[in-house]
Amino acid sequence: MKNISGKLKSDLKELKKLLPAEDILTFEFSSERGLEFALVYADPISDKELLGEQVIKPLIKYEGEKKAKDIGEKLASPELRTEKSFEKLTAEILAGNPVLLWEGADEAIVAGTKKVFVRAIAEPSTDVVVKGPREGFIEDVKINTSLVRRRFKTGELKMDMVEVGRRSKTVVAVCYLDGISKPAAVEEVKKKLNSIDIDYVPDSSYLTHFLASRPFSLVKQVGTTEKPDIFCAKIAEGRVGLLVDGSPIALTVPYLLIEDFQSSEDYFVPPYRATFTRLLRLFALIVAIYLPAFYVAAQLFKLQLFPVKLLLTIAGSIRDIPFSPSLEMLLVLLVLEVLNEASIRMPKYVGMALSVVGALVLGETAVSAGFVSTPAIIIIAFSGIGLYAVPNLIEQTSVLRLVMLLVAGSVGTYGIVLVTAFVILYLVTTENFGAPLVAPFSPFVAHDLRDSLVKYNLGSLPTRPELLKSPNKRRLK
Amino acid sequence: MNKISARQIYFFLACVAPVGKLILLPAQLANFSKNDLLFPLLAHILLQAAAVFCVLLLSKKGQTLYDLMENAFGKIAAKILAGVFALFLLFAALLPILEQKLFVQNVFYDTLPTVVSFSPYFLFAAFLCAKPLGGFGRTWDILAPLAIVGLAGILLLSAPSADFGALAPAGAAGGAGFLQGARSGFAWFYDAALLIPMLGHIEYREGMAWKGALFYLLGGAFVLLFFATFYGIFQETAVNQLFAFSATSKYYEGVTTLGRIDYVFIYALALVMAFYCALPVQGSIECTLQACGRKKYLPTVLGILLSAVLFALSLILDYKFADVLQAISGTVFWLFPVFCLAVPALMLLFLIKGGRRETA
Amino acid sequence: MRLRKFLKTIPMKLYVLLAAVVAFAFFSNDFGLVDIQKTAIILAAGIDKTEAGYSLTAQIAVPKGTDRTTGGTSSVEIEAEGQTVSDCISLIFSKTGWVPKLVFCDLIVLGESAVKEDVVASLNYFLRNDYMPDSCLLAVCEGKAGELISSKSAIDDASSLAIEKLFSDAAVRSGKVVTNTLKDFAIDYYGVSKSSYLPFVRMADQKGSQGESGSGGGSGGGAGGSGSSGSSGGGGSGGSENSEKIYSAEETAIFKEGVMVGLLPREQTLAFSLLSGNVFTGTINSEESGKPVTLTVIENKGSVSLKNDPAPRAELSLELTVRLCCRGATAAMEDISSDKVTPEIVENTTARLKGYMQDLWQTTKDCGCDIFKLNRMLYRSSLKEYARWKDNLLNVAEAGFEAKVVSMK
Repeated sequence: MKNISGKLKSDLKELKKLLPAEDILTFEFSSERGLEFALVYADPISDKELLGEQVIKPLIKYEGEKKAKDIGEKLASPELRTEKSFEKLTAEILAGNPVLLWEGADEAIVAGTKKVFVRAIAEPSTDVVVKGPREGFIEDVKINTSLVRRRFKTGELKMDMVEVGRRSKTVVAVCYLDGISKPAAVEEVKKKLNSIDIDYVPDSSYLTHFLASRPFSLVKQVGTTEKPDIFCAKIAEGRVGLLVDGSPIALTVPYLLIEDFQSSEDYFVPPYRATFTRLLRLFALIVAIYLPAFYVAAQLFKLQLFPVKLLLTIAGSIRDIPFSPSLEMLLVLLVLEVLNEASIRMPKYVGMALSVVGALVLGETAVSAGFVSTPAIIIIAFSGIGLYAVPNLIEQTSVLRLVMLLVAGSVGTYGIVLVTAFVILYLVTTENFGAPLVAPFSPFVAHDLRDSLVKYNLGSLPTRPELLKSPNKRRLK
Repeated sequence: MNKISARQIYFFLACVAPVGKLILLPAQLANFSKNDLLFPLLAHILLQAAAVFCVLLLSKKGQTLYDLMENAFGKIAAKILAGVFALFLLFAALLPILEQKLFVQNVFYDTLPTVVSFSPYFLFAAFLCAKPLGGFGRTWDILAPLAIVGLAGILLLSAPSADFGALAPAGAAGGAGFLQGARSGFAWFYDAALLIPMLGHIEYREGMAWKGALFYLLGGAFVLLFFATFYGIFQETAVNQLFAFSATSKYYEGVTTLGRIDYVFIYALALVMAFYCALPVQGSIECTLQACGRKKYLPTVLGILLSAVLFALSLILDYKFADVLQAISGTVFWLFPVFCLAVPALMLLFLIKGGRRETA
Repeated sequence: MRLRKFLKTIPMKLYVLLAAVVAFAFFSNDFGLVDIQKTAIILAAGIDKTEAGYSLTAQIAVPKGTDRTTGGTSSVEIEAEGQTVSDCISLIFSKTGWVPKLVFCDLIVLGESAVKEDVVASLNYFLRNDYMPDSCLLAVCEGKAGELISSKSAIDDASSLAIEKLFSDAAVRSGKVVTNTLKDFAIDYYGVSKSSYLPFVRMADQKGSQGESGSGGGSGGGAGGSGSSGSSGGGGSGGSENSEKIYSAEETAIFKEGVMVGLLPREQTLAFSLLSGNVFTGTINSEESGKPVTLTVIENKGSVSLKNDPAPRAELSLELTVRLCCRGATAAMEDISSDKVTPEIVENTTARLKGYMQDLWQTTKDCGCDIFKLNRMLYRSSLKEYARWKDNLLNVAEAGFEAKVVSMK
């Protein structure tokens, strides 16, 4: 690609040729001594006020040489760069940074007066805590990196910027603590990021596909969080974090399944409470996945699983239901999923009406009309609530629940046992970035059990998790 | 992921292997040895522990079964021997799978289901066999606590109903009862043989052989305790209780009020059993791979093929289980001591001799 | 290259195929499936012997539906007659269209006709059936079991549930009733003692008027002797068919090799319970100065042991800690406020208990029924001695009786 010629008109013509879009504007002006300048910028993403204050105003009175160095010294902008090639200049313009050209220029000056549209830092709705920090990441990578930087006042925190996306040129900040993260893991992350050949990256979730060792898997293989405190804690353990421009969801690798059973709050409450809530989450998840399946399988194949009085109650309530137990449960489950989906997307003012429709019409009326039975509604309601005990795994667990239900309705309880066996086998053989997904349970790492489903006191966790193979093991002296 | 750690081997020997003995074997031994059923059981456990010791000592070499055979007898003989061992393991897989099928049909269904109900197991077996051996090792990390919870739960619920006095008087069945019981029990004790295909994949540690044998004895103690409880509960009717571990816990008082809560433990053990029963098939595939050479899709193809064979056999032999049992545990029972006791001992003997020659 | 591409897509194709198979199985869902809606949940079964073979009356639970306003269990009784018990069950299936399921069958009642022969013939089907819980209770009834099962209970929706209440843990601890399950009966039958026992159920009309049926013979418990009390006014067949019934099971049927050989009256049943050490807060009757008193058993130590020096000798031993529960006479407030048992009552009670035990021993000896499992004790302690005495142990064995009653301090 060509470099600028120093002839203002022809350089502007060349830039216009490369960027023919109508929102790429040119502002031409002269200094009092008659030197001609031109600013080329992307109208919607450049801050014109800053441009006027930091670039145009100082140049009107410019009396110096035509050298970029001299001109740059006059400008009041703290973020200045010089570039020669049209390729780089077009990239800067498209990133929101105006390019300053002048007659006889040896280099063009790029001014960092990008207009930043950001929302306020708020508590993420997906990870609400009672105790602990409430900040959440937003869509701007710079602000997100600042949130991380604020928590590590050390030069060991590295933030390597990688651009991903042929057209979007999305900035990805690879964050890690030098000397604590395993170098091989950092290298692998960068290698995988550099190998991505995609034109557009709208969100960090796009990257998870490329970072996963089994891209088509239902199983989550990359950790996600919206909270800087969790992100930093994971980096401090020796993980590598990724902040993606345009996404409030940060990624961390290596990911262990147990991470999603841990909440940031667990570290701010007494360890016995944290242990209890973690076990409760596991229990809720198991119940949520298995309860509808076992309920159906018991009705179809193994009545003995019910105590006789409960069985008679169930038998009484399903007597007039026109569907088989399995079909009934599937219908109720689908209705729940539809309601769930609709209530997330619906405008808030319709949400209330939806709740009424869901609770009264579909629940109460369906039971009294004899479409579904009361126990089925109770089972699905309990399962629906239980699934949200581990919100980060919703996508996986809801599918698993459906699979369990289908198998239970066709093969019975042994089908459930076999699907569980499949899942166990699949999980134990999944690895990513050198870490087995279900560690520290398989492979069994006794040391790391201290902060797994149980949570030891902070004083009992002097070293980083063994699984992450950090070069610096001790975190508490 | 193709390595199995010492800890995983211990988990297998202490927790997973005992689960395979809890379905038909108790009734089988009660049939021949009556209240003396613990004696043949103890004999099997001790013999297997010795065989486990031999195999784990062999693992010190870090060579596979095929490599060991090749070094001792040459290429052709090694291929033949590995092939024969693969066939034996496939044969050994038949009884546990049929036993498991009967168990599933009777315990997990209120009325006898169609053959279709058990067929998904063979899909699982094929999937399992396509995985590397290290995958098995990792499953043991998960299955070990499950097995412990299952066994302990069943024992806790069962023990209060047992009259351990029923095991007296010792020796009532006599020598003949002991021998008959021991003979009929061989088909359930092939754990040392299951370790042989894993040779070369086991990460040997100092003292692993005797520790492994000790862990096997620990698991055996669990089995002995369960058998004692089983006979204490059913006494003279024990021979009629074909699905032992699903039967002993139902007399717990909580079962009447809460429903069959013992099924939580039964399902946990059934899960462990699903993996355990596929182990001989996996071993058979591993031996074949060692003999034929590893090719990319061969484990998957073999897994599907052998599972299909076993599925076909399970259909053909659906109503002939008694004959199969008689054939395996009666007529050709000697195959088990040959492959599970004599082979490990002979292999070790050859190696010790070979080693001496080498050093000489 | 094409082959590799094809092989790569195989797993995905297999998953799709698998999903299709599962979906098909889920929606068609009828591989011989017997689900809850096609099932007859048998709560209890009554078996009588007939000329044709067997008559089986099954009490089947009927769900009440969504409009139910009250709790409880509705049931319907279906009777079928066939050559075997299994035949009867099949006939019930063909009569109702419901598949009979025994997994919830908690009670099997044998009619008098059935216990005249080896009852294991009647129970054979249940012992073989893998889907039958062998923890189900067994009982013998006066008259026909079918009539008992079909009767209308005064205290519960279903007769079986009312009868099961008689066999609750609390009832067993009272010492008034002994229970046995299918499993334990089979163990006894196939064991070396070949003897067992079952509760004997009687049925009587409940017409609302007190003392109409004289149920349970609760008139203060005649002292000592083995005379039957509580014969409940002529049994179940006496009252009108539609009248509500109440049940009692204070007597115990004893079996030798599966045949009922005798009936223990309530006093002997109590003695048997006490010897088993099962009684807690049960009551026993005694007397003081010719007036009846009732004592509550606070602690029950009971045992039957066998000594073999040189001839077998059974030791029946009881040690009870009791307190005064009721005096059948007027008393001063100081007396009412005290639980202490006087030496006279202790003496009378001890004598009475010894009498019960002697009667019990004599009854079992006369019937040749080894309900104390003496043969089993001998077998377990010495094979040699067992071989020597097994054929005539009950005949040759002497018995020693020891009873000790202690007042609660």
